[in-house]
Amino acid sequence: MFDTEKLLSFDLPGEVISSLIVMGIIVILAIIVGIWASCQNPLRRPRGLLLLAEIGVKYFDNFSAELVGPAVPNFGGFLMGVAVYLFLSFIFGLTGLPSPVTYMAVPLSLGLTTFLLIHFTSARFTKWRYFKRYVDPIPVFLPINLISMWAPLLSLTLRLFGNAVAGWALLTIVEYALRDLSATIFSAMASGWNEIFLAPIPLAILHAYFDLFSGFIQTFVFILLTTIFIGQEIPEEITLSTMERRKIKHE
Amino acid sequence: MNSALAAAIAILGVMPSAIGEGLVCAHIVDGMSRNPEMYSKLRTTMIIACALVETTAIYSLLISILILFTK
Repeated sequence: MFDTEKLLSFDLPGEVISSLIVMGIIVILAIIVGIWASCQNPLRRPRGLLLLAEIGVKYFDNFSAELVGPAVPNFGGFLMGVAVYLFLSFIFGLTGLPSPVTYMAVPLSLGLTTFLLIHFTSARFTKWRYFKRYVDPIPVFLPINLISMWAPLLSLTLRLFGNAVAGWALLTIVEYALRDLSATIFSAMASGWNEIFLAPIPLAILHAYFDLFSGFIQTFVFILLTTIFIGQEIPEEITLSTMERRKIKHE
Repeated sequence: MNSALAAAIAILGVMPSAIGEGLVCAHIVDGMSRNPEMYSKLRTTMIIACALVETTAIYSLLISILILFTK
């Protein structure tokens, strides 16, 4: 039976709740940008959030056109969605709540999305020749190919998870060490107040590195690898024929 | 005690990754000194390459953290 009691008591891990908050922020931002963009006079110069959104859309469209090609025209939207979610998840750790990326299910589902997309794209564009990849040079390689097909999933997942968890563990260790050090140095003060003096500045620098810089780089690497993995599944003749068709339509 | 030793052995895997990262930086610096107008492009490439090379180090760091903190 469906357990309403458990659902209403919000018995979820903290990271999942952070992930839901991040998704809520993204949905609200998307609605604001959508309404703003439809009301805006296209002849006037965009400002603020709209300008940022337009730069992002243009960047990701160019990115996917360069690496995936015209065979999958709407790929930039997926890329931008994943990038915004991932970057906001990484910097969500700055609020003090747990970052969603430190929960294994979140990077795993992102990696699984890429993994499924790789195989669906391959099956869509090469039809029955898709199964040829499992017996690539000769049929003896079947077990090796069956193992190595999981490599992109594992590497994408563990890269994100490892980076987030390494940053989180290091920050936690430094935080505890500085708290104890501060309590030892200012032991004359009332307990509870003597722990807060040393931590803020070093932790701010470490947070800037591990959450902002590392998060940005990892987001970029994830996007780059996703695009390259999917782009190499599309055969070249399909890209060329799509370009030809588009050229004819333009003329 | 045993888990601490295991974690210390697991973290040894960062050594080759550090060498690899050094090689990336050395070759990027070579390219920059030979062709200074490519500086900004090469810097972006270097950061991405370093992040990719770092991955293997992060795997071993992850494993040693898991060994230390899981009972």
